[in-house]
Parts: sequence; C-alpha cells; structure tokens
Amino acid sequence: MTLLIHELKRNLKSLLIWTLSVGILCGGCLLLFESLEESMAEMAAAYSSMGAFSAALGMDKMNIGTIEGFYATEIGLMFALGGAMFAAMTGASIVSKEEEGHTSEFLNTLPLGRGYIAGWKYGALVVLVLLFQVICFIFIGIGFAGAGEWPPLREFVLFHGTQILMQLEIGSICFLISAISKRRQIGGALGLAMLLYMLDLLCRVLPDLENLKYVTPYYFSNAADIFSTGEIPMEMMLISVFVTVGSAAAAVIIYKKRDLSA
Amino acid sequence: MSNYAIEINNLTKNYGKHRGVEEVSLTVEQGDIFGFLGPNGAGKSTTIRSMLGMLHFEQGEIRLLDMDSRKQQKEILRQTGYMPSEAAFYPGMHARDVIRFAADTRGLDCKEEAGRLCELLEVDVAKKIEELSLGNRKKISIVCALQHNPKLLILDEPTSGLDPLMQEVFFKLLLEYNSQGTTVFLSSHVLSEVQRYCKHAAIIRQGRIIRADSVENLSKSNLRRVKLTEDGKEREFTYTGNMKELIEQLAGRNIEDLLIQEPTLDELFMHYYEKEED
Repeated sequence: MTLLIHELKRNLKSLLIWTLSVGILCGGCLLLFESLEESMAEMAAAYSSMGAFSAALGMDKMNIGTIEGFYATEIGLMFALGGAMFAAMTGASIVSKEEEGHTSEFLNTLPLGRGYIAGWKYGALVVLVLLFQVICFIFIGIGFAGAGEWPPLREFVLFHGTQILMQLEIGSICFLISAISKRRQIGGALGLAMLLYMLDLLCRVLPDLENLKYVTPYYFSNAADIFSTGEIPMEMMLISVFVTVGSAAAAVIIYKKRDLSA
Repeated sequence: MSNYAIEINNLTKNYGKHRGVEEVSLTVEQGDIFGFLGPNGAGKSTTIRSMLGMLHFEQGEIRLLDMDSRKQQKEILRQTGYMPSEAAFYPGMHARDVIRFAADTRGLDCKEEAGRLCELLEVDVAKKIEELSLGNRKKISIVCALQHNPKLLILDEPTSGLDPLMQEVFFKLLLEYNSQGTTVFLSSHVLSEVQRYCKHAAIIRQGRIIRADSVENLSKSNLRRVKLTEDGKEREFTYTGNMKELIEQLAGRNIEDLLIQEPTLDELFMHYYEKEED
C-alpha cells in the first residue's frame, strides 16, 4: 500500500495534466454543441456520404447533428485517443523510470520484494486509469448538463466500460515494455497507441484487413458502434482481457528475474 | 546459528561476455567492520549488488545474517541497511518524505532515530531532493540506511562526496552502531579509511579476491619504504627482501641520512596488485 500511495503521488501531476486536457476538451466541445447544432446538421449530411471516411469514423451509423451522434463520433474519439495515450505513457514509464532515474537501487533494496514492487506499480497504473475516467466523467457530465441533453445511459456506460478495458490493455502492454526496459519508452508507447488506432481505421476501411479487429482494442470500444447497436463484441473483449492479464503477469515474472541496474 | 554475518562461496557473475566477479569467496564475522578494497571496475559493486538481490548470479551461494540471499531476500533486506555509491532519490520529493518512505516500507516508526541522525549529520529535511548537493543526498542515504537500527550495514563507497568533517561524523556513527552489534561491510578505494576503521579487509582485483585478512596482517609484510640522502640527493623507493642484503648494499655508499619505514596501506595495496600481475 505504501508503494501504491507513493506511485499515485509521483504520477499526480501527469494525471492532472492529461485529465484536465482531455476532460476540458471533451466537456468544452459538448458545451459548444448547442451553438453549433445548426451547422452540424449540414455537416452530418455531408459526412454521412463520404464512403470509407464516413465508415472509418462511424459517421455512416450516427448522426453528428444530434448530441448522441456528436458524442459517439467526435468526443468518443478524442476521449479514446487521449485515454489511450495517457495509459500508454503511464504504463511505459512506471517501472523503467526507476532505472532511468537511478532510483532502482534505493527502491529494490528496501524490504519489499520485486513481485510486490511490480504488483503495486501495476495496481497504481490501474488506479490511475480509473481516476482518469472519473475525472473526465465530471467534465463530460458538465458538458452534457450545459447542453441540456443526455445520451442513453446504457450505451454511455457500455462505452466507458470498454474504454477502461481498452486503456488497461494498452497500458498493460506498455507496462510489460517498461518491465523489460532500462529506459522509459515514451515514444514507443505513444507510437503503439496511435498504431493500434490506425489498425482500427484500416480494418474498417479495407475489407481484406478485417481480421485486424481482433488485434486493436479500439475496435470493440468504438463509440459509434456501441451507441448505434447497443452491443459490444464479447470475443474481442475476451481477447483484450487475455492480453491485459498476460502482459501484466509476464511483466511481473520478467521483472522478478532480470538484473537491475543502479 | 552461524558466527558469520556474511558468507560468500564461489560467487560468479558475468555480464554476457564481460567479466563481473569469478569464484569470489569471503566471510565476515558478526560484529566486524570489514573493508572491501579494489579500484573502479574490480567487482566491488557487482559483489554487493549480488548480495542484495539486484543481480542474479550464475554460480555460488551468498548467506547474509545466516539466511540464503536467494530465498530469504526480503527478510535479509528488513535487517539490513544499504547505502549505494550513487545517492539518487525521487526528484520533487522532500528529504523528510524520502526518509519517511524508507521507514514506512519497513513498517516501522523511525522518527526518533531519523531525527537524531538528521541532527548529527546536519540534514535539511525541508529541502527537495533536486535542491541538495551530492554530499547532502549522501547524508539522506546514511539516514535511510541507519534509521531502523540494522543488524548488517552494507556501504558502497560511503564517503565519496562527503566533506572531511562529515566523514568524521559518519565514521563515529558507524563505530557507535558497530559497538551495539551491527556488522559493517564497506567497499572503498580510500585505503586510509579502511586502515583506520576496519578490523578485516579483502582486496579484489579483476573480479577475483587476491587477499583477505585482518587489516593488521595485511599491513604486515617485508615490504619497506626506504628514504635516503646520498651525495646530497634524496631518493625514495620500496624494498622487498632480506634486510641484511639491503644493509650490505648500502654499507659502502656515501649515505648521509637513512629512514626505513613500514609501508602505508596504499603502498601495500599497489604491492599486492603488482605481485598479482607478475
């Protein structure tokens, strides 16, 4: 528990910067929706007939001119990318920062044990991802309240539930990278978050690459799909759970076995 | 119950193709102050970091406080205080928070002892880590290593970065803890401090122990430092061998002044190194 609190304190600044940025952006856009509603209706007509582009962004399923459609296509995307990048960055630095900052020798010679250290650091990553959701919720809630309209609760909860899993999957893969690295791989982590989004776009646009939907967690957590169908693809979620748990377990096992530099 | 606080048998640790340490064996009795001597890259830190579980060694066995370093690492660390050569902490944290964090991980309230140590070492606990000099970070490291009254203290080049006055205070503290039963194992390349404070010492070179004995015995050798003035010119050299032969060689010469002294530990250290190279 001591280490969990320590890690949360160490990541507080980053958490605030990311949640305020993403939260204010999402909430702010929702507040602006009312004033943009008229022009959005015209945009919706244009966007819905743009073929592959519309399909990639889910505008063929949702009407951007409604607050639900606007949230599912625009805000959902901003939230997904912001959350994924935050999870990737946090996961990629939470273990390797010790060796990069030369604090590894201090931490690992306290009577904690490597399994405990890796375990609580992963726990801190999970808590940070959940806090990101909660704080952003507040801003999104303010945005909806300001707009005077609310999205359907079931779809809203399903979307944010899958977002937590998506962020945890990306965070866990980056946590594994962090456990085997002596340096923080921030560039690689952000690259991974963007690459997986690219795969989501590709599998939606190119039928030959459809199977990529099993690789990228953006697919099952897509807001437009969830808000338009009210369902989530369970098999992809199971794959995501498997990747998340597998990455976290592999990270702990590798961290326990490898030599640590000062 | 073993009489040894540290028992290392045939420790071998390599970094891929690079040498770490090879077949290192040494023992440190409980209550000892043990010096571990060697130049940079000799294998001192590799040995220490293997003892503390930072490195996984290929061969050998390490027992600390009668416990297996591989199987009982957590319990060993609970009873051990460690001071790394590089005192690095988390930037943004205040010194007091670092000290409290180290105590919290042990589940102990070390406020009283930490306060006493901070006062003796003149630590400004209100400062942030990045505002502290290397010497002051070293002091934080000393407090973290000592505050829980460890049974074993492992110190990797502890005095580097400390000013001479603080070095005095530090060694006074070590002697105080040692008098209460704490075993001290310190690595150093400052031979004078080993000679002054340690009871036993080992010398490591290129990953192998070349000599381990009491400091008194290590200082005893037939090596002598000879200073002489001959025809108005001063000469100084070290001599190993039969004293009678030296006197016979000097007898027919115009020696105005002659001083034959025991060598310092530095000279002995170099002597052991040269002997090994031969």
